[in-house]
Amino acid sequence: MSGLAESIAVGKFVVTAELGPPKGTDVAPLLEMAELLRDHVDAINVTDQQSSVMMLGSLAVCHLLHRRGIEPVFQVTCRDRNRIALQSDLLSAAVLHIENVLCLTGDHVTLGDHPQAKPVFDLDSVTLLQAVKRLQEGHDLAGKPLQGVPTFFPGAVVSPAANPLGPQIAKMEKKVAAGAKFFQTQAVYDPPQFEAFVRQVEYLNVPILVGIIPLKSAGMARFMNRNVAGVNVPERLIEEIGASGRPDRPAKAVEIAARLIREMRGMCQGVHFMTLGWERYVPQLLEEAGLGQGAGSG
Amino acid sequence: MIITEQKGFDEILGSLEGCERVFLVGCGVCAATWGTGGEKETREMAARLADAGKDCTGWVVTEDATCDARTTRRLLRRNRDPVGLADGLLVLACGAGVQTVASLVDVPVYPALNTLFLARLQNLRVCDERCRLCGSCILAETAAICPVTLCPKGLMNGPCGGYEDGHCEVDRERDCAWVAIYERMEALGQRERFMVIHEPKDWREDRHPGFINKRDEKEAGDRKQEAGAGGRR
Repeated sequence: MSGLAESIAVGKFVVTAELGPPKGTDVAPLLEMAELLRDHVDAINVTDQQSSVMMLGSLAVCHLLHRRGIEPVFQVTCRDRNRIALQSDLLSAAVLHIENVLCLTGDHVTLGDHPQAKPVFDLDSVTLLQAVKRLQEGHDLAGKPLQGVPTFFPGAVVSPAANPLGPQIAKMEKKVAAGAKFFQTQAVYDPPQFEAFVRQVEYLNVPILVGIIPLKSAGMARFMNRNVAGVNVPERLIEEIGASGRPDRPAKAVEIAARLIREMRGMCQGVHFMTLGWERYVPQLLEEAGLGQGAGSG
Repeated sequence: MIITEQKGFDEILGSLEGCERVFLVGCGVCAATWGTGGEKETREMAARLADAGKDCTGWVVTEDATCDARTTRRLLRRNRDPVGLADGLLVLACGAGVQTVASLVDVPVYPALNTLFLARLQNLRVCDERCRLCGSCILAETAAICPVTLCPKGLMNGPCGGYEDGHCEVDRERDCAWVAIYERMEALGQRERFMVIHEPKDWREDRHPGFINKRDEKEAGDRKQEAGAGGRR
């Protein structure tokens, strides 16, 4: 059982954070960030060519983290690999002792830096979860038996502020049926709306880690509202971060994020940080949110 | 309907280089309806080629689809004189029509159109692609809206996280196919169908290049039946 699975199972409020691999081979800055987070999070997600931008692979970075005693969450998208390559990479993860696998559809290639590429999407997030389940049951998608059976802790994502919400929840239900054991959400900024969402999916009885992206500036908030699907920053928060001067902004961003976590921690089973370069504020953020002690994957 | 567009005239002239006497064939079905290769367009093309110094030996528009080799063969035979004078044919039809004509004559055949997609014609100005000819129709399970065609990721189990206000992540002007499927299913009282998990698509059903010989299929079927009745062969 992975550490993350265990923490969730015993009812601990878990903390995960996301790191994006570099474009290139210099992993020193990424590992520095990981060290910074080590004692404060239960696991670190490693993104898979986030936003369809070509980067160092998630599996390699997950391995580097695991070797340092930091628990990784291997993010896998369906954009770049067919079912043969995806199953093979899952087996590779298993032999490298990587159990947490976050199954995503993946952004379309046209959104990234190689828009000429052929998109794959041979599987989707639901059938990828099914592939994980079947591998754990000892056979592959073609029904062939495995020599050595892997163990995984599969997760998935959901957008609580999606519009319309109905198809999002229906797909979440399919992901649970396909084997998703935990969910990390898109960034949430509206606790009452999140509460309504949580109530609507209560019947699925699945752990949810609420997504938090600290607001670095009003401009960033507006950019996300315009360009990031399922992200909806209320105007009052945009004004709040906008009203603080540049030097005070990190403190303000931490204050807002901590407040959001305090308001939502009773509604879910954990928090997932997408800090986009502001990893150094995570310890302070957890402190202010009243989650200062307890986490740590060391 | 097969949707086509006319190639630029310079490109057409370029492909006709070295071909002085041209016979034109238009298609009376798809290209005629969509206004890319009917009578009017074929006549206009003949006139433009004449203006550009080509000798047009004649033109026809097939009454049936140009891709029906039976009727196109008869039409070309009836026009064997002007066709025989030509040292090249220009076809205003889809790629299937062009290749059908090419299979019936011994001179070079050139396309005047680009073939785009298989579409629903909303009116004479608006059409939208509706079928990818994928070989294993799932419309029964998707409220008769095709995600293989309309979702840029061809997803089989619901929308990705990229839709916003019901619009597609790849093109915000377009509706998300899976949101549309979900909403139509709800309206039809078929939400439970949405919950069915579809296995990954079997791409062996995507039989391109396609070839069917019904006679062979019948013979194979007969043989199978005989084998079934008479035991192992």
